[in-house]
Amino acid sequence: MASEIIRTPFSRRRLLQLMGGAAAAGALASCGGGNSSGGSSGPLKVIGAGSQEAGLRKALDEYKKQNGSFEFNLSFSPADQLQTALRAQLAAGNAPDLHAVYPGNGSAMSMVQLSKANLLADLSEQAWTQKIPAGFKGAYQQDGKTHIFSPGTSVLGAIYNKKAFAKAGVEIPTTWSELLTVCETLKKKGIIPLALGAQTPWVTQLINYALVPGTVYAKQPDFDDKMAAGSETFAGSGWADAMNKYLELQKRGFFNDNPNGTTYEQATSMVGTGKAAMAVQVSAVLQAYRAAAPSPDDLGMFPLPATDVAADNWIPGGIVVGLGVSAKSKKADEARKFLEFCGQPEQINAWAEAVACVPLYSEGEAKVDPVLKPFLPYLADDKAVPFMDQRWPNAEVQPTHFAVVQELLGGKTTVEGALKKMDDAYKKTA
Amino acid sequence: MTAVITPPAAKPQTPAKRAGRRSGIAPPWLFAAPALVVYALVMLYPSIVGAGSAFTDWSGVGEQRSFVGLANFQQLIHDDQALGAIRNTLLLTAAIVVVQTGLGLLLALGVHTTIKSRMILRVIFFAPMVVSPVMVAFLWKYVYNPAPDAGLNAALNAVGLGALRQDWLGNPSIAIWSVAFTVIWQCAGYSMVIFLAGLEGVPQELHESAMVDGAGTAARFRHITWPLLAPALTINVMLSTVGGLTLFTQIIAMTNGGPGYATDTLSTVLYKQAFVFGKFGYSTAVALVLALFVAAVSFIQLAYLRSRETAA
Repeated sequence: MASEIIRTPFSRRRLLQLMGGAAAAGALASCGGGNSSGGSSGPLKVIGAGSQEAGLRKALDEYKKQNGSFEFNLSFSPADQLQTALRAQLAAGNAPDLHAVYPGNGSAMSMVQLSKANLLADLSEQAWTQKIPAGFKGAYQQDGKTHIFSPGTSVLGAIYNKKAFAKAGVEIPTTWSELLTVCETLKKKGIIPLALGAQTPWVTQLINYALVPGTVYAKQPDFDDKMAAGSETFAGSGWADAMNKYLELQKRGFFNDNPNGTTYEQATSMVGTGKAAMAVQVSAVLQAYRAAAPSPDDLGMFPLPATDVAADNWIPGGIVVGLGVSAKSKKADEARKFLEFCGQPEQINAWAEAVACVPLYSEGEAKVDPVLKPFLPYLADDKAVPFMDQRWPNAEVQPTHFAVVQELLGGKTTVEGALKKMDDAYKKTA
Repeated sequence: MTAVITPPAAKPQTPAKRAGRRSGIAPPWLFAAPALVVYALVMLYPSIVGAGSAFTDWSGVGEQRSFVGLANFQQLIHDDQALGAIRNTLLLTAAIVVVQTGLGLLLALGVHTTIKSRMILRVIFFAPMVVSPVMVAFLWKYVYNPAPDAGLNAALNAVGLGALRQDWLGNPSIAIWSVAFTVIWQCAGYSMVIFLAGLEGVPQELHESAMVDGAGTAARFRHITWPLLAPALTINVMLSTVGGLTLFTQIIAMTNGGPGYATDTLSTVLYKQAFVFGKFGYSTAVALVLALFVAAVSFIQLAYLRSRETAA
């Protein structure tokens, strides 16, 4: 009886009907997006990764200047959102004509994964592809065909605030022990030695990437081949040494408080303003750090030493995120022409300079950002290792790496447990 | 004597019946047809086709796919990450259903009075609901800034509770409750509105006669208000349960399932499997299990709560 009384002014059915209508309206609205890149006319649709912006925008503007009728529609996405949006478009068959692609393998938006699904156009006929060094062919090519354009190599090391170093009276360290001493001195001076924004997933991997060339690859240059053959594991290799060193930095209090709750942007600000002295980062984000500093000259970069043996301190140097032409694009020829233009030596140089990377090749002296000069001898001496994920066999190892580092920093797992999870992910099929 | 038999006058037909007879379709279906067609095209067809992917190893892009039978479902049973996500999903749902519903009821009772500011308070309590969940998540990321001199930590310090400062989203033991609090903060006003609608329908005469009989506030709430709020409670519990079980936006925007796997739910796991790991088939299997689970829980809840309504 009582329920009947209440039903008169308040009907559950009516409310559910309204909600159903709203849901249908939402579904219809979400389906009404349309595809702006479907036709052969109209602007070239380009989606890049955030870290490409300075170089890609410059190249497109220059190309338009030389080809007056060329029109483009350019947008960018942060790395974490890129693969979601792009993969959805690729799955739906309405990918942009030209889009960001990660070199090598190891991510769902990597060149190998996409070319295996026949989603990338073949660029092998372009002149610049002949200049790809033998050691980097795995980053650009699958089954002998080139599927990605990338302007060159990004290096990974410590971005540091020169004023903070001067205030603490410390010099650039060249061995692991020296690094610990420098961090201790900075800490005593009230400066955070290392800013770490581990809430941003991709940032979690960088310290391991900086250490592993020294703890693994300097002793076993063929480590990736052994992993692929199943004769090596993360847990049984120098990866354990690298992760223990990562944890040592935390245990000694060399990171900012609560790194798991700190974002990449917050860590960038810490170094830019001198609140923190260093952050382990890729050179491609130097522009963001410079933007956070009072003056761009406040910042420098050096290779992070992983061992006490100078000869073993190799560096990570990977091909930067590039561009691929959608195999289903109706403007594939136009997109290819643009990449052919980007592959010219002066354009590669300009792009590489804009994103602080070492150009893929150069005719004459390459224009390299001066802060990268400490890294050039390592590249010349073949002591650079591609970013590790570029040779991992599936897209699951890298996110697992992100997660286990956060667990390590949060005290929820051990080095052994973390590396076992990475080994388990590695063994899964592509 | 002659009897004159006149045939009964034909009943006047309504336009709807005439139209229904012409088309051979009963009027209710005729009216529902446009909506049903749209629903079938944008919901049923993609869902059924998508469900087929749960039995394949499709990566989500390209044409290559093989039938793998129930392998994806077997993998789910042995997947530590998915099992952890199920645990997190249940914890989050329980917290959201209990606290959001309880808080919504308290707010509704608080503003269902004669105080002058009741309309303003209703607007204030409901306001978070009209903000996009993504925006709410980003706002709360600022509030949860782990620095000791920022956001919630600074506020705690200012009132002498500095010892309670936390790494709200970075501590694996706390992060899930921080997310739950954000969801409750946003949605409690929604529950309040539903309870308010229910309270408006409680006849004042019942309260007056109970007062004449000497019933106090607590007794009147227990024996009059609470039973008559049964339909509102049903809707609130149902909506918050489904919302909790399928919670995605706030988690992705605030923690991305981390730190580690501490805030992963079934929704974030299926998203990551599809778009990060490139395992669309397995992701669809997770989605199917989630859909069936939500349907089962909703059915059981609805059956129980409606029986309670009838009893009331």
